[in-house]
Amino acid sequence: MRKYFRELSVTGALTLLLLALAIFAPSFYSPQPLLSLAANASVSLVVACGMALVIIAREIDISVGSMFAVCSVCAGLLAAMHWPLAAVIAATILIGAIFGGFNGGLVAGLGLPSIVVTLATMVTWREGLQWLRQGQFVNLPDGVQWFGLSQKSGQWTLVIGALVILVLMALMMKHLSAGRYIYAVGSDAEVARLAGIPPKLTVFLVFVGIGALVGLAAIMNMVQSPQVDPQSGTGMELKVIAAVVVGGVAISGGRGNLWGVFVGLLLLVCVGPALIHLHIEAYWEKAIQGVIILLAVVAEGLRR
Amino acid sequence: MSGELLQLTSVTKSFGAVRALKGVSFSLKAGEIHALLGENGAGKSTLIKIITGAHQPDSGRIEIDGRDTGALSPRIARELGIACIYQQPALFPDLSVAENIGLRLSQANVFSRVDWNARRQQAHRLLENIGAEISPEAEIRSLSMPQQQLVEIACALGAGARIVIMDEPTASLTQKETHLLFAIARELRKRGVGMIYISHRLEEIFQLADRVTVLRDGESIGTNRVDEMNEAALIKLMVGRDVSAIYPPAENEPGETVFSLKNFSCERGGVRDVSLDVRAGEIVGLAGLVGAGRTELARAIFGITPADSGEMLLNGQRIEIHSPRDAVAQGIAYVPEDRRRHGVILEMPIAQNMTMAIHRRFFPGTWLRFGAEKNLALEFIRDLSIKASGPDAPASSLSGGNQQKVALARWLAAKPKVLVLDEPTQGVDVGAKSEIHRIIRSLAKNGLAVLMISSDLPEIIGMSDRIAVMRSGTITSMLPAKSEAHTVMAAALGQKAAGE
Amino acid sequence: MNTHKPAWKNVLLAHETILLVVLIAEWIFFDAIGRNFGTYDNTCDILRHSCEIGLLALAMTPVILTGGIDLSVGSLLGLCAILFGKFWRDAHMPIPEAAACTLAVGALAGGVNASLITLLNLPPLIVTLGTFSLFRGLAEAITHGVDTFTDFPSSFLFLGQERWLGIPAQAPVFIGALIFFWWLVHFSTFGRSYRAIGFAPEGTRYAGIPVGRRVAMTYVLAGIVSAIAAIIYTARLGQAKADAGNGYELYAITAVVLGGTSIFGGIGSVYGTLLGVAAIAVLQSGIVHALQPSEMAGMLTGALLILALTASVLPKMISRLRQRKSALRLAKQNT
Repeated sequence: MRKYFRELSVTGALTLLLLALAIFAPSFYSPQPLLSLAANASVSLVVACGMALVIIAREIDISVGSMFAVCSVCAGLLAAMHWPLAAVIAATILIGAIFGGFNGGLVAGLGLPSIVVTLATMVTWREGLQWLRQGQFVNLPDGVQWFGLSQKSGQWTLVIGALVILVLMALMMKHLSAGRYIYAVGSDAEVARLAGIPPKLTVFLVFVGIGALVGLAAIMNMVQSPQVDPQSGTGMELKVIAAVVVGGVAISGGRGNLWGVFVGLLLLVCVGPALIHLHIEAYWEKAIQGVIILLAVVAEGLRR
Repeated sequence: MSGELLQLTSVTKSFGAVRALKGVSFSLKAGEIHALLGENGAGKSTLIKIITGAHQPDSGRIEIDGRDTGALSPRIARELGIACIYQQPALFPDLSVAENIGLRLSQANVFSRVDWNARRQQAHRLLENIGAEISPEAEIRSLSMPQQQLVEIACALGAGARIVIMDEPTASLTQKETHLLFAIARELRKRGVGMIYISHRLEEIFQLADRVTVLRDGESIGTNRVDEMNEAALIKLMVGRDVSAIYPPAENEPGETVFSLKNFSCERGGVRDVSLDVRAGEIVGLAGLVGAGRTELARAIFGITPADSGEMLLNGQRIEIHSPRDAVAQGIAYVPEDRRRHGVILEMPIAQNMTMAIHRRFFPGTWLRFGAEKNLALEFIRDLSIKASGPDAPASSLSGGNQQKVALARWLAAKPKVLVLDEPTQGVDVGAKSEIHRIIRSLAKNGLAVLMISSDLPEIIGMSDRIAVMRSGTITSMLPAKSEAHTVMAAALGQKAAGE
Repeated sequence: MNTHKPAWKNVLLAHETILLVVLIAEWIFFDAIGRNFGTYDNTCDILRHSCEIGLLALAMTPVILTGGIDLSVGSLLGLCAILFGKFWRDAHMPIPEAAACTLAVGALAGGVNASLITLLNLPPLIVTLGTFSLFRGLAEAITHGVDTFTDFPSSFLFLGQERWLGIPAQAPVFIGALIFFWWLVHFSTFGRSYRAIGFAPEGTRYAGIPVGRRVAMTYVLAGIVSAIAAIIYTARLGQAKADAGNGYELYAITAVVLGGTSIFGGIGSVYGTLLGVAAIAVLQSGIVHALQPSEMAGMLTGALLILALTASVLPKMISRLRQRKSALRLAKQNT
């Protein structure tokens, strides 16, 4: 019980919020808007899964927003060139992985601090993209949006897809040696090395992993509208890091799980719509999210 | 084919110009606890590193069960059944006991599935085997130090270790925890495991070991059965000369009582009802086994973990200490046990280390005065014979003994009234050790009240004007200067010495 | 083992010297290829535009020296800007009074960061991530997302837009802050404790230095400086909106790290921060005057940051490689 205190308290908070909404703003529970919200959140969920791994490994990646924008535009351009959708998906994931590998190479290979490396790449990729695209949207051909399905089917596909990824990754982190190595390296890299676990390779692969997931998330975002906005992904890194931290993953590494991250993301994502339905000004969203983050970190501090 | 489990013959190892081991021979029988004794710098850790394969000897032979092992590497040593348990357990703090054991013992493929049940059972089995009551689900961080060491032992046995080396395992254990560890060691002995037990605590050697080998200056001085030895003989072997001759004598009578503790207690540190007086010009030694509460007392005095009840008096006036800042303001100085982490700041220059405690007084208006600082540093470097390339050299560039002198200088600069020293010569080479002793004695001569914590029996006996013995967080006896070593040890153990 | 040169000091000097060389090279290069680059007017412009980020970078230096970080300074700038507007417009305070109240708000906000980080021992990265969101959120909530404060008196706008005695009016403020922080970090006992805390927080405590109070001070100062930057920002743009200072914290951190301050604490200098701010500002202006897309400045800044980091770990890597080579040679000799 005490072991999962953080995850349980977040779940409690979310439950309270949902209950409050059920009582005071039942309009929140209309199916179609909820589905759209879920489909939107799926994108962040996929990235949050990757970010959880990065933070468990005791690193951080604040370049995900820029990587996301670059991958989105690449995906859009490839789709606009009438590549088959499967190829676009594969290519975008690969592009994301390469960007992730660049970060990973600098962090694991040269031993540079990840916060500064990803700060540098964040600025570079974002500015580079702005330079190349000048803010121009990419118009997608027919059949790309919602994977060519109806909106409802498309949204369900996204939601289920994100959940499948969540479940697969959660299982991997719990039951696969590779997943446990990430915890080991995040807990104490030197002890890991002595035990025969390669810390540098592990960190490198974690960065590649989040890159690939960002690529996938970019696809999931792309299919939700007829155009690709090169400004998409702005602020994603902080949203995702917040979800991970609120979900009980310690910034010091080595602990936390994806179920907590899932609940944490849901909590943060529901704040905005909850405000609308409760007829509170939507502009309180950031402030409330800030308070939630602070409460979570205080809870983590008190646990220790 | 000798009956020895492990046999080292004529092992020599040099590091550059330093000859760490000069033709050392050492043997270990199965079902034996063999203590390895020696001062710091005698060559103990080098010998161990050679046995575990971390270093290769320049010459000599290593045999296990009579067979030459050839060149050892850490991996080969592990496979041959050699395991070493250090002071700091090499465990993952955030993971469970079962997972730690599982990660250490399995060489599983990255893509293999983790069998949590099997892991839990394996951990349970191994822990039960050594009688450790630790839940496999427990997080390592939540375990106490001896419990963590037990996990390490479980790992070692799980890996099939027949030779277990314990390197100063009791350094951070309480008395009760030490007894638990000893019980486990005796159990392992019954099962035929051979243990090499490294310690410089004589009382433990006598409690636990079957044989003892003394190293001095890289040579093996002798191997004897423990029941044929006594402390005086051991000490003489270790040090090579008479104890009393090394230490600078007291030259003056102590003055007024400067520092007093009355019913001083600190719940968190396990300090109970301590009453103590230290007079000007006096060195009061604080003896006791590890875990008796000496460092905790020092930390309570200095305000790191402030006291919750009792009184502290300075020159007769009652004072309250809630933080190290208060203590320094009152004129109390503390040279801590962990030199590298707390005594000096390794990355900073010597001069800056020396002025670290006197900012308020030395730099009025918070303006730094680099010239004055440099002069202060040069003065101390000269007065304390610190071997450094200059006042700007980082503390990390100095040897252990010189670092300790810098730590001392920092507090001398504060011109304290009371000086608390915690293991002042631990990890210091023999030459610097006697220099530091001379410095301490001359400080006392100049009127300083000195409270000296030491686990080095000869040092405590040689340096102190009075010896306070601590046990279980309180002072159990006050012994006069030049007491017999066994009297002090008996008091520390809580026994009555012969003839009392 | 006696080293003749204090290694850490030398590395530090080298880093800033190289950065200075880069800065001079930038200047010469852009002067040559750009139009109107090396003019006095343009220099004033550069100063004017980089003043706010420069102030934030100066305040960020002690924070990072102690091994911490403050992600909330940009958001706090926004919050202070709109509060300044509100004090002046809605509470009808005269400008100086409004400014004083704004500084108080900044100090208070910095105090929130400080208390959470020092009293509860929480990681600065996450605490300031929370306040990053909270401050911006408060700014947006107070202005309902749309409110803008304009029509400030021209005597106030003078601070941001005019010149005083030939230099941009905000320059004296920046110079004042520069002198203060230079003294704080390099000539005061506070700066000395910041470095010690960055290297070894526990060890510093054992020396009798009040670690919590020193660290708290750095965050409160950062809050006050954010407020000052907010006022100058408002004067420069002539308006205060909730999105003021968006992204500024990252540029401030970039400037500080570029200047040679280690993100782990202990090592760093105000001189380096100044060079870092200048290098970025000159780069941005130079690119524009060379008629190149402004995004290139951002890309080059990112690249420069990575190069600077790599350069700082090179000496360690080279010495490690040398050690390994000599160890191999010795092993070969012994077989």
